[in-house]
Amino acid sequence: MEEKSASYERVVYKNPSEYHYMKIHLVLENADTSISAEEFKYLIISGLKDLYGEVGAAIPFDVLTFDQTALSAILRVFNSGLVKLWSALTLTGSYANKPCAFRVTQVSPFLLALSGNSREMEV
Amino acid sequence: MSPDLGKCSRSLLTCEKSNFLNEQSRHEVHVSRHCFNYKISLLLPECEVLPVRVENVIHNFSSYYLVRDLPVYKFLEEKWLATVVKKGSFYALSCKTRIDEDNVCALLPSGQLILSLDKDTYEHLGLEGRPSLYSHKKVMRYVVSVDLTNKSLVPGTKRYQQVLLCLKERVMLRSDFLLTTCHPGADKDGALHNLLSQYTYEECRPTLHSQTLKNLFCPSLHHSDLRGKGLSCTPNQFLEWLGAVNLNISCDNSAVSFLSTYMCPEPRAPVSQSVLCTVTGLIPPKDVCRLLKELRCYFAEPNFAAWVSLTVHGFVDCPVSWGAAEHGFFKGGENLYNFVCFKNQDYWLYKATGSEDACPP
Repeated sequence: MEEKSASYERVVYKNPSEYHYMKIHLVLENADTSISAEEFKYLIISGLKDLYGEVGAAIPFDVLTFDQTALSAILRVFNSGLVKLWSALTLTGSYANKPCAFRVTQVSPFLLALSGNSREMEV
Repeated sequence: MSPDLGKCSRSLLTCEKSNFLNEQSRHEVHVSRHCFNYKISLLLPECEVLPVRVENVIHNFSSYYLVRDLPVYKFLEEKWLATVVKKGSFYALSCKTRIDEDNVCALLPSGQLILSLDKDTYEHLGLEGRPSLYSHKKVMRYVVSVDLTNKSLVPGTKRYQQVLLCLKERVMLRSDFLLTTCHPGADKDGALHNLLSQYTYEECRPTLHSQTLKNLFCPSLHHSDLRGKGLSCTPNQFLEWLGAVNLNISCDNSAVSFLSTYMCPEPRAPVSQSVLCTVTGLIPPKDVCRLLKELRCYFAEPNFAAWVSLTVHGFVDCPVSWGAAEHGFFKGGENLYNFVCFKNQDYWLYKATGSEDACPP
């Protein structure tokens, strides 16, 4: 049986997402250093702890993907924790006593937007 | 830390529900007003390979051209105006220019030339514009809009000479450009080719990538429940899940996992195979319309899918999003829309923008 079609409806949501998503990558001095996803997350938590103490270390965030070759990841964090996480990433400067840096490639309240970044276009 | 730092810049999501067969449905208008499309992503649940008819539509997408180091004033030259601009048949967007730090230029099929300029360039250029809508305390960016089809802008007039002088003598704006015609037959007489032949340019084809995803959990959507009151997940959950599928993110984590707790939203159902297909390039709205039309026919043949999804991402560094509405880049320049098409020709249309965009139409 054909289901009855819907009537027109429109809804506008302001700040619909409770999360922000960050595409980041880690730059290490020694490119051969191997790092697992767990170590990667622990490095970020350590950065949060150094900057904001125990409360900062408890900020919940997810490592949605981690690419071990490129050392790139996509993080998901509550909106309220975005500034703290971003600042901790900026100020993280060493991994295993060797200099390192996090580069933030893209930030968006829509995860879908991270899959279509025209700045990555190769022409 | 200041409590204000816990707040984030605003983002907007509009959700619409209608039916393709509804005479007042504006789906084609919405598509045609989003001029500069960078990427299309198709998700077809319960499908093993990309249907041939859909693939054919994609293979017939218009080519686009990458023109190196093209001065902006060239658009005003008599032969350009007569053969290309006034016919209203092509789109142009400066390439590898970032709207939050560089000068960006776009030419719409309506003949509007839009320049998003930093303060110094704007002051040197001398063309009348307006401050960007998304300026902070100090205006650092200006938008100049010149209607090239205006009667006062024909070669020989005072206004024409003034605009040409500004763009040629005062500040020679030049950039790499991406150009495309509105539809495949728009450049039958080869006028665009002739004009481009004076410059270094290359013809590019949109890049198609297709893959089959196995054993995926898909949200169950009911066409009547747009807001997600029980029969479907909420719009935001659905878009997040679509993002996760596009980015190959695992959707079956446990709530106590150290790395990620992300899970496919409820209600959901296992789907044995789905096709995820992406197309990247400069894709004119007409091609998106044709693909959407083909997707509507997808349900004419028997299949198990309850819905299919079409996502279109706009260029993040484009000075306009929908129509001539100003677009900017703060944390991100997202301007995307998504169609969810159902068997009974109902559709949902999501439109998402970031902080430097007006509310989508």
